[in-house]
Amino acid sequence: MRILSLILCCFAALYGLDAAGIIAKVEENLRGEQVYLRMSMRIVTQRHERTLQLESWSQGKKRSFVRINHPPMERGITFLNLEGQMWQYVPRIERTIKIPPSMMLQSWMGSDISNDDIVRQSSLTEDYDARIVEHNGSVALIELIPKPDASVVWGKVLSRIDTERFVALEERFYDEEGTLVRTFSFDAVKRFGRYHLPTRWEIRPQAYPHNRTTLLLEEVDYDTPIDEAYFTKSALTRFAR
Amino acid sequence: MLLRLAWRNILFYKGRSLATFLLTFCAALLLIFYAALMQGSHRTMLHSNLGIYTGALQLQHQRYQEEGGSEHLIFGAAHWVDLLRRTPEVTAVSARLETVGIAASRLASGAVVLTGVDFSAEADLSALQKALKSGVYASEGLCLYVGSDLARKLEVGLHDELSFIGSAPDRGFVAERFEVCGIFKTGLYDFDLNYAFLNRAAFDTLFRTHDTASVIAVALDDPLHAEAIGARIAPLLEPHLRLYPWQELLEDLLQMLSLDKIFGYVSLGLFFLVIFFVVMIYSFINVSSRIKTFGMLRSIGMRQRQIDIVLLLETLILSLGALALAAPLGGFLAAWFELHPIIIEGIAENYKSYGIVSDAMPTCFDPASILRQSALILLLNLLSILYPIGYLRRFSPTEAMRHV
Repeated sequence: MRILSLILCCFAALYGLDAAGIIAKVEENLRGEQVYLRMSMRIVTQRHERTLQLESWSQGKKRSFVRINHPPMERGITFLNLEGQMWQYVPRIERTIKIPPSMMLQSWMGSDISNDDIVRQSSLTEDYDARIVEHNGSVALIELIPKPDASVVWGKVLSRIDTERFVALEERFYDEEGTLVRTFSFDAVKRFGRYHLPTRWEIRPQAYPHNRTTLLLEEVDYDTPIDEAYFTKSALTRFAR
Repeated sequence: MLLRLAWRNILFYKGRSLATFLLTFCAALLLIFYAALMQGSHRTMLHSNLGIYTGALQLQHQRYQEEGGSEHLIFGAAHWVDLLRRTPEVTAVSARLETVGIAASRLASGAVVLTGVDFSAEADLSALQKALKSGVYASEGLCLYVGSDLARKLEVGLHDELSFIGSAPDRGFVAERFEVCGIFKTGLYDFDLNYAFLNRAAFDTLFRTHDTASVIAVALDDPLHAEAIGARIAPLLEPHLRLYPWQELLEDLLQMLSLDKIFGYVSLGLFFLVIFFVVMIYSFINVSSRIKTFGMLRSIGMRQRQIDIVLLLETLILSLGALALAAPLGGFLAAWFELHPIIIEGIAENYKSYGIVSDAMPTCFDPASILRQSALILLLNLLSILYPIGYLRRFSPTEAMRHV
């Protein structure tokens, strides 16, 4: 009996550790130490469809720089994320705009991801308590509940994770009332050096069944040193063209 | 005989009769004029809101009114514009496409409702053209027609540059630099503070739209029939579209006007309560001083009911006489100040958030309203004699004759 209790306790402890560990590993896979991405973003609504082409340079969790390359009307728009703050430069009007906290939930470039998604990518490990709900073969379903003092957008996140390659397969985001708001699906997992990364991401908002945003990662370069100049405010104008 | 007796009493008790006459006259004149002023100012506020921009009817996607959003626009707007123009009572139609964004000058920035319009269609429907304060109304290219309060907020004048950032219906990012080519002032504070207009051709190019509208505004020859006309056109519309009559679009304003009317009548009611008691006290004193006379009349065979009628007739004659003067004079004042509104300097500035767009406060000449106010005064006066009649009825003929 004592042995059985010990085994159960070990399992519980192991599962608790595993959940946070799995999420941390997934994030590590997603970011590496630094990563350059070239991607296209296809945004579909009931009546319109448009495709953006963009490049992203990021260093760890807190610093990233994004440049839009296509379409021509939006070419040269740049975004800088430094320590949770976000700036945008719009070459057409030659202005740099600081995105205020009140606009963090606004759509990013008309897609189904928000400014907050761009800035607060690290919050899953820092702001949520993770728990394994189900472990089926190599796939774990992890429930993320906000920590009591965390100021976060979501009431719950359910993440389905491939625990062999440590990549997310699907993430479901719920509001505080427990209503599903949007679903991220990930596939076409490829290996880049020591990292695994899904190269096709699809975001579907629940409220707009016709809408979806698809990200296709066309070029991925992990851990090649990125010029520090990308993570300064002057980069917004300097690298806009 | 009773009428003659009442008339003789009126002439005999001149002081009391004059006081009652003057009180009734002043109260009636005040009520008629106050009601005309209130009706006039409410009508002006309503017409300002209707005529300046709203229109009598608006065609919208059913979910646009509450949710907005590019999914709830009217696509293929030209078809609906044609349909509405073919309706006999419709005098003008304008398809508008609105988007909300941030406008910024070198010194300031703020939210703006940028609206793409056909300036010639708007000239027939709204007061936009008449509201031109400086510059030009209908411009081409990247030229904006900006509300005066918005221009002041953003610290821009004619030919200054204004940057705009927003999103297009396809959810794409839109950023552009415009020149301020015209400034308008309608007097509607919220409108002048938030709206800027761009010619439709430039708007469509910039926002990648075609034949799309967020709102199709409709002017009617008689806005009072908006609901009936809307109901008649409704079966011709697609299920997701709806014609909103101005009564729904301006629901908040209508509620505010109703509330204002109630408060107006309540405060006036207090005044009339005072008038009522003054008339009643005068009547009571008059009746009290004549108790002996009424006792003698009863003793020579006159019935109490006949005395009641005499007292009622006295009040009726005095009231009708006062109203015969007050109603035409009140009507004349209402008509005069409708044509030559009272100007109260600064009232538009102080009450701009209530939709008052001008310092002119016109009255409204409405014969039905004058009749209603006159009838109310007459009723009050007749009620005021009931207590003195009741008091007199307490005395028997003998007691009355001995009354000192």
